[in-house]
Amino acid sequence: MTDSKQASAFKEQTPLRAKISSLLSNQSVVLLITLVVLGSFFQWGSDGIFLQTGLLGTVLDEWGSYILLAVGQLFVVITGGIDLSVGSTVSLSSVVAGWFVVQQLQKGADITGDAALPYVLLIAVICLLVGLLVGLLNAFLINKLKIVPFIATLATMGASNGIAVMISVGMPLQGPNDWALGAPWMIGDFQLPVSTMVVATMVITAIAGLFLHKSRFGLYTYSLGSNPFATRGAGISVEKQIVKVYMLSGGLAGLAGAYSYVRLGAGSNTSGMGMELYAIAAVVIGGASLMGGVGRIVGIALGTLVLFVVQSGLLTMTVVQVSPDLKQVIVAILIAAAVAVQTLQKKNGRK
Amino acid sequence: MSREVIYEIKNASKRYGSVVALDGASLKLHAGEVVGLVGDNGAGKSTLVKVLSGAHAPDGGQIFLEGKEVSWESPRQALESGVETLYQDSGLAPHLTVSQNVFLGREITVKGILGKLGFLNKKKMEHEAHRDLEAVGIAVPASNRAVSQLSGGQRQAVAIGRAVSWAKKVIILDEPTNHLGARQAGEVLNIIKNAKAKGLGVIFISHTLPHVLEVTDRIVVLRLGRIVKDAPTAEFTGDTLIGTITGTIQTIKVEGD
Repeated sequence: MTDSKQASAFKEQTPLRAKISSLLSNQSVVLLITLVVLGSFFQWGSDGIFLQTGLLGTVLDEWGSYILLAVGQLFVVITGGIDLSVGSTVSLSSVVAGWFVVQQLQKGADITGDAALPYVLLIAVICLLVGLLVGLLNAFLINKLKIVPFIATLATMGASNGIAVMISVGMPLQGPNDWALGAPWMIGDFQLPVSTMVVATMVITAIAGLFLHKSRFGLYTYSLGSNPFATRGAGISVEKQIVKVYMLSGGLAGLAGAYSYVRLGAGSNTSGMGMELYAIAAVVIGGASLMGGVGRIVGIALGTLVLFVVQSGLLTMTVVQVSPDLKQVIVAILIAAAVAVQTLQKKNGRK
Repeated sequence: MSREVIYEIKNASKRYGSVVALDGASLKLHAGEVVGLVGDNGAGKSTLVKVLSGAHAPDGGQIFLEGKEVSWESPRQALESGVETLYQDSGLAPHLTVSQNVFLGREITVKGILGKLGFLNKKKMEHEAHRDLEAVGIAVPASNRAVSQLSGGQRQAVAIGRAVSWAKKVIILDEPTNHLGARQAGEVLNIIKNAKAKGLGVIFISHTLPHVLEVTDRIVVLRLGRIVKDAPTAEFTGDTLIGTITGTIQTIKVEGD
């Protein structure tokens, strides 16, 4: 082979390889591939049950109950912080919603059918306010008392949970559980895998994404996590940004509490238990860095989906029986794999 | 110097507990002048920079901008009045792009209601960032590249370019040539000369004395919180400058001390 031929062969190879490696360094592409592989695998392993609308509906319903937490957590994680209080905020706000509905029912309110709609909106507002309050408290602890986010939100996590137990006396607060919001959408006789609630969470996620990637609020979120000194030096109030971000995370957790209340038809001090860990897992799997400055909304949406596709998929397996107890182990493996992939991507990027 | 005094600090003092960090320091800066601020570690350079940039309020003394007395409540206030500061090693956010860094804190939003919500005009900022950096003498790589992908020299150039292009009156540069190679440091010194030509008052803080001797018009030496020498650069040689900093050369009292 002559030199020129070798050179041209080399030239042809490099751009393709570079293209592939740059594609693989995009977390969203990796997650999409993962989803396709997992989907096909479970479809095969479940004798074709997995991709049925009913089951997909369950997966998306689970997704909807966690995505708001993951979105809030993403903003916090991008600033270099963490919010451990979101699970307890779900419990607290769902309990407050439950308490509110019980009060209304005792007054003889009609919360059925179309008459339920104003109540749903009220529940959403109440839950949102509860969440915003928890977020504000987090920001206060971080800004004024200079407590690191991990400890500050650990404290509010305990406090919110305690208050939820006190309000509910440890019992689920029952309400009507025939909300139309959770019912799947129909096109004629064909059932879609989404309900109004799931679509609502998708819309909120999309709006949050626009603000994260296109607005000043999002830019400051990234710059705070990337370099707090430079952010302050540019004349930006770091404290204000922390208030906004933790209130966003709290508020979304409150809305997730409303979701949980409507979905289960009851508010319980255990409804959000452990949810913060899934939210953090989803954020990490979605490609965000706990060191701050990195993360995209599409990645988080896909990361959350991967989490629940795996969980539901495993349970539908007919080829091998998988114990539901294995779920947590699988989540742990996913987190480790996601972080390992990130580290490898970084290494390759540096070469 | 015939030009007007643009920034002045008179008899400033600052204590941290029982430590006297700044003891009656006075300094005048003219438009189109580069003043070097030198001194050993702990001489009070950083404190003086923080007072001048609005990060710390002095315990005593006065600050004048264009002859009017000012008292900074925050760095933001100083920025908005035209006093720009580039802190040592804290200039840029590595995950953001060049243009996002250049416009950080002064973003251009889109028109209409979306603009009110804070939605950004990315295209315009990228375009203007490129233009502004070029204007101060920096050959920038694509302004949509993340700063983390730039070399150390390029980063520093962007950081200084950002400060120079925004500064309206005064620019304070704290160790801008630190960690840079000879060629890159030369580029940074060129940017400083550009800023001077633009009519800005420049305060240049550095440990690298050859750079100070090359680029400044006047040198102010701090020792133990006091200004011990304030003289035209031409009066110093490398040796006398070191002697003045360390105190082996006796200093005469300067005006205002």
